[in-house]
Amino acid sequence: MKRRKTGPSGVVAAPLDAHTQVLAKETGLPSVKDGRLRTYEPGDNVARFLDLLGKRISRPLAVSMTACVHCGLCAESCHYFLARPDDPTMTPVWKADQIRKIFKRHIDWTGRIAPWWVKAGSLHDDEDLNRLKNIVFGSCSACRRCTYNCPMGVDTGLLVRFARGVLTELGIVPEGVFNVSRDQWETGNQMAVSEQDYLETLEWMRDEVGAELGDDTVEIPVDKPDCEILYTINPREIKFDPRSIAHAAKIFHLVGESWTMPKWGWDQTNFGLFSGDDKLGAFVARNVYEAAERLRAKRIVISECGHGYRSTRWEGYTWADYEQTRPTESVVITLKRYLEEGRIAVNPARNAEPVTFHDSCNIARSGDIVEEPREVLRRVCADFREMYPNRRENFCCTGGGGLLSMAEYRPLRLEVGKLKADQLRATGAKLVCTMCHNCVDGLSDIIKHYKLPLRVVQVLELVANALVVRGASGT
Amino acid sequence: MSDLLRTLENEVQIGALAFMAVVYTVRLVWIFRFRVRRDRTFPAGREAAGAGYSLMNIAMPGAMESTRKRPGFYTQFVVFHLGVAAAIAGTLIIPYAPGLFESRPAVLAFQAIVAAALFMGLLRLVRRLTNPVLRSVSSPDDYFSLILLLLWFAAAVLALPNRPEEGEGPLILYFGLTAFFLVYVPFSKICHYLYYPFTRYYLGRSLGHRGAFPPAKDERARARRSGESRA
Repeated sequence: MKRRKTGPSGVVAAPLDAHTQVLAKETGLPSVKDGRLRTYEPGDNVARFLDLLGKRISRPLAVSMTACVHCGLCAESCHYFLARPDDPTMTPVWKADQIRKIFKRHIDWTGRIAPWWVKAGSLHDDEDLNRLKNIVFGSCSACRRCTYNCPMGVDTGLLVRFARGVLTELGIVPEGVFNVSRDQWETGNQMAVSEQDYLETLEWMRDEVGAELGDDTVEIPVDKPDCEILYTINPREIKFDPRSIAHAAKIFHLVGESWTMPKWGWDQTNFGLFSGDDKLGAFVARNVYEAAERLRAKRIVISECGHGYRSTRWEGYTWADYEQTRPTESVVITLKRYLEEGRIAVNPARNAEPVTFHDSCNIARSGDIVEEPREVLRRVCADFREMYPNRRENFCCTGGGGLLSMAEYRPLRLEVGKLKADQLRATGAKLVCTMCHNCVDGLSDIIKHYKLPLRVVQVLELVANALVVRGASGT
Repeated sequence: MSDLLRTLENEVQIGALAFMAVVYTVRLVWIFRFRVRRDRTFPAGREAAGAGYSLMNIAMPGAMESTRKRPGFYTQFVVFHLGVAAAIAGTLIIPYAPGLFESRPAVLAFQAIVAAALFMGLLRLVRRLTNPVLRSVSSPDDYFSLILLLLWFAAAVLALPNRPEEGEGPLILYFGLTAFFLVYVPFSKICHYLYYPFTRYYLGRSLGHRGAFPPAKDERARARRSGESRA
């Protein structure tokens, strides 16, 4: 990569904007009143931060705090640093050290005895906390690429999420993080979709699929008990991309699947992952698990969403202290199974344009799915090509870690997106496929900003597009 | 051999080692005080396999992009730590198995390893002093620990022939520094080897449970094929 001189960004100097927090308090939102959603209160926040730091730290975190040897090998794994190679504050080690030095000063022994010797340091006021907020929310997408590249096994992604969680408890968060958390606490979904909107959109999509197939028996069942599949989605699908629900409904209908969507507990996304708030994480994940329990579904299927998959399949059970009792899988795994079992027929010529695949960080690095989407794409696309690096070494779309909801960090996010833009451009593909709604928006931003001749698609869309409907002349 | 050197090689070393063991025990108790949450999900892989892979990462330079792309750095790491091992071995061989160093080739081999480590250590020091990223995060302890190790390596190269009759200076320096190290290490970055098994174990266990560690046999090759330089 050509090195270019950049001015020292330092850290993005975004002030704490708490006006929606004030509004939430004034309107007496239940989640604020009962203390589930914390708001900023001027006062001794440093003492509260330190108290929470001591109470919440786990063993994997404690050793990640102590084990770093400052070798700097993580630097070149980070898209922030690769895009701003003259700015040491963009390196994972520097960012993690801003958390680590507080741990050293207050919890680790050397830092308590001789802080200057190990560069331990404390926080003094809310300005320091706000600066830490800008570091952990604004200059890291928690993609864990550095974690995979640390010889010591230091999990900087985990450290960043931990610091975010403590700051969230103090209300010292970007406004967007507060707003989305508020919506998820209040409505059970992160885009405040009303039940009426949800149900009407499902009916609309049912009618669309029925019209497309010329089949008035098409259904999008809601709250149907004893089904094979409980299908959960991202609220973005209701608000901005209902076609993805239609694609899933069409495929489920054609294979004769026994499936349902729940009336409550349908949001598989989870802002608790981004804000570091395990309580929110537990609440949202439990909604999904309890919906499956209530409806006696045999399997939970998660639509294409990176952080939603990670939260629902992996983290949520732990946050909620909920023992997993039924398989929980991504819809891409379901699609792969249909293809392997011959339950759907596809014609790859219907996806003739060159397609590349972008691995979502939360699915590839923090999850278990790497080859499956490729196996599906090779069956449904005529020209599938890899981008490099890929799989668990892929770079973040730049929208990870909830950054899409934090407008104040957008200029930096787009600047460091140059790396992703170069990666996409080099493929020569016309379509970039991803199994994550966050990545759809992150990549779309990059494509628009860097004027790339690409369009973002998802696996469901490509499979639906390639479907050969037996007995029908069209798709 | 003078009483000073004899005491340094024996009682002082044993005392320093005992001190280190006590401090490490306290440290381990401290680490185990932090809780670990149990994973409540169905596994997609084997935790033991993941942890094993993660712990063996140290011997797999191809496993991480960061070491794969920088073979020189990995070589430095290996030589430097071999030097540490050789210098530690020297502190045990000289007082307890001096016969081993009666063989000139054995002494030369040890000296060569430690001298190479000294050279690599100097490169590391230069890197730490000149690289803005490292300068931004380095603490006095980072510099002090490295410089102290360089001095220790130099003393080891001189002392390993074990000829007190030709002058005890190098041996006194070598064993004196060793004793200081044993006392200082638990409080410095050098004790990273105590934490290494923990960080790698917990990371490996978690990613092993999820099926991410160890990666499929050819996953890394496919991830980087023809693309190493593009990004």
